[in-house]
Amino acid sequence: MKLLLKQKEFSVLAIILIITVILSFVSPVFLTVQNWLDIIEGNTVIGILAIGMTLIIITSDIDVSVAALTTAVTVSIGYLFQFLPDNWSSVVLIFLIAPLIGMLLGAFNGLLVSRIKIPAIVVTLGTLNIFSGLVLYITNGNYINSTNFPDSFLAFSNIEMAGIPILIYLFALVAFGTWFILKYTLIGRSVLAIGGNAQSSVRVGINFEKVKMFVFSYMGFLGGIAAIAQTSYTSAIDPNGLAGMELTVIAAVVLGGANIHGGRGSIPGTLLGVLLLAIMQNGMILARIDVFWQNVVTGAIIVIAVSYDEINHRRNQEKLSNIDVKEAS
Amino acid sequence: MKKLWLSMTVVFFGLILLAGCVSEESAGSGNSGSSDGETSGSSGEGESSSGESGSDDGNTDIAVVPKLVGIPYFNASETGAEQAGEDLGVNVEYTGPTEADAAAQVKVIEDLISQGMDTIAVAPNDPASVEPVLKKAKEQGINVMDWDTPADKELVDLSVKQVDDEEFGRHMAEKLVEAMGTEDGKIAILTGGLSAANLNLWIEAAKKEFNENYPNIEIVSEKIPTEEKQQVAYQKTLDLLKSYPDLDGVLAVSTPAPLGAAQAVQEQGVQDEVSVVGSALPTDSEPFLEDGSLDTAVLWNPKKLGYLTVALGKMLAEGEMPEDGQQIENVGEITVKDDGKTVIMGPPQDFTKENASDFDF
Repeated sequence: MKLLLKQKEFSVLAIILIITVILSFVSPVFLTVQNWLDIIEGNTVIGILAIGMTLIIITSDIDVSVAALTTAVTVSIGYLFQFLPDNWSSVVLIFLIAPLIGMLLGAFNGLLVSRIKIPAIVVTLGTLNIFSGLVLYITNGNYINSTNFPDSFLAFSNIEMAGIPILIYLFALVAFGTWFILKYTLIGRSVLAIGGNAQSSVRVGINFEKVKMFVFSYMGFLGGIAAIAQTSYTSAIDPNGLAGMELTVIAAVVLGGANIHGGRGSIPGTLLGVLLLAIMQNGMILARIDVFWQNVVTGAIIVIAVSYDEINHRRNQEKLSNIDVKEAS
Repeated sequence: MKKLWLSMTVVFFGLILLAGCVSEESAGSGNSGSSDGETSGSSGEGESSSGESGSDDGNTDIAVVPKLVGIPYFNASETGAEQAGEDLGVNVEYTGPTEADAAAQVKVIEDLISQGMDTIAVAPNDPASVEPVLKKAKEQGINVMDWDTPADKELVDLSVKQVDDEEFGRHMAEKLVEAMGTEDGKIAILTGGLSAANLNLWIEAAKKEFNENYPNIEIVSEKIPTEEKQQVAYQKTLDLLKSYPDLDGVLAVSTPAPLGAAQAVQEQGVQDEVSVVGSALPTDSEPFLEDGSLDTAVLWNPKKLGYLTVALGKMLAEGEMPEDGQQIENVGEITVKDDGKTVIMGPPQDFTKENASDFDF
């Protein structure tokens, strides 16, 4: 079983290693600490959202409203900035309020999915439109630049510890926390169980509704944190800045070995998926590849990674069923 | 329990629908049609025009359709269009899709046709897909014009352009060279998307300017797409700065791109080494203009563009055509091209550290 787990992430890791080797030959800048810090910091928002999405995809659901939800929270942050005092308490307040708003919005998704049992894709497509419609109605699409931000928040976004930007610590904390929840808590194990086989897990006594409610609220919670990250990363609030991001997030999760039908997926895998997409984006310019080819190369690598993973997975499944048959006979 | 949830959701969505209806009603007044004296609410109605298509209340109705509503640029042109409506005594209906979606825009135009407009001005998301619906409008005797982005030339009665594309591209190139302070350096070009026609025209013109007048300027890579997003432009500029440490300038076309490029320059503290020039709105770019991370933002005045569109729409409805060099009040002198129907609002406008705070868009 352990071997299987390793192999799940192996394909992405192998491709990342190959690309890294190639790119470091092509561009001397690629394999520098600064470049990698830039890559990770630049993908913190996608990464945090992808971590939340992993839980949802494990339970064989999907949430396409993440980008809209995150935007809704960023806009709320922008409004809060007008009322917050210019000292550190406002940063603390933002860290309390933003995840809370996100969690409420996520819980709304969860409520519709778990109680009324509407398929998640329908629910979140609806809420995607509700959230983004409300955001556009309220803000009229207006961009807010950093002149309206409290200085303490700007100072917060520029904090570096041991040369590493604060956002990366935030990202690491979210990743570790979620990994821990998934691995060592009852609710985390229930998430995996429901994804593996919903019916038998309910028979064992797992509360299906509670778990669904949890994954969607948790997604919202992380959306709130991602909103803080996005606001501090761009030092601006753009109601259109995350449009279409949900596809990248889902792509990263699937690349990381999660099965869209549920049951399979891990935090390390998702992190690798995010990293793969990120270094491809970064490497294309560093390697001075012609822009028109960049999309082709990106697409090709995704197809290779996913099919390699899928073939591997199937082979393992076949092996497993072989053993079953032999033992039975 | 389940029933309770169901009914609660039904009530919730019902409320949303209701809210939608209310705002729709207030937006769509003027056209509510046959009913009696209700429409007199709109101000400045005295100047009843001789518009040929029989609109219900005898007032000139001009519809202005942007690519999408809810972004700062088109909000600014909305302000201008509505100002013109008040000044000139015409009804202005400024409405468009909430996303830059060609099909949704066609539906908006369909609705406007059935409301009986005198003039419809469209900034098409996709010129080909609005063609049939514009034809339909023409058949019903509605004057058709395009603004901001050209539609099929054969179809429209008038075409309003903010600037001459060629002039605009060349102007940005010149500004960049000026900001760099050298005619001998390396630059990179960022764009919103590879398929955006007007951005491509500007980039082509800028390249021509570099080729003809500044042959020692080297463009380090093909134009780089930034998905119309600031954070993408920011990341790509960081990558560019690493990959080409001797970069002297960035030309960023599309409104979020210069902001992202300037943010990267600001954060790396290379304001003096790398110049950034691009097309952006002044209020958005103010924090970057202030410390020189963005040298010049070049654009036009979108408010004036909205104003001009309505002014010309009114002329069309009254059967007049604009002339070359004509003065339009609150806009300035316009240029009419040789084909007699392409109107150019004026030269591009520069927003710099000194004047950026004078504008409110």
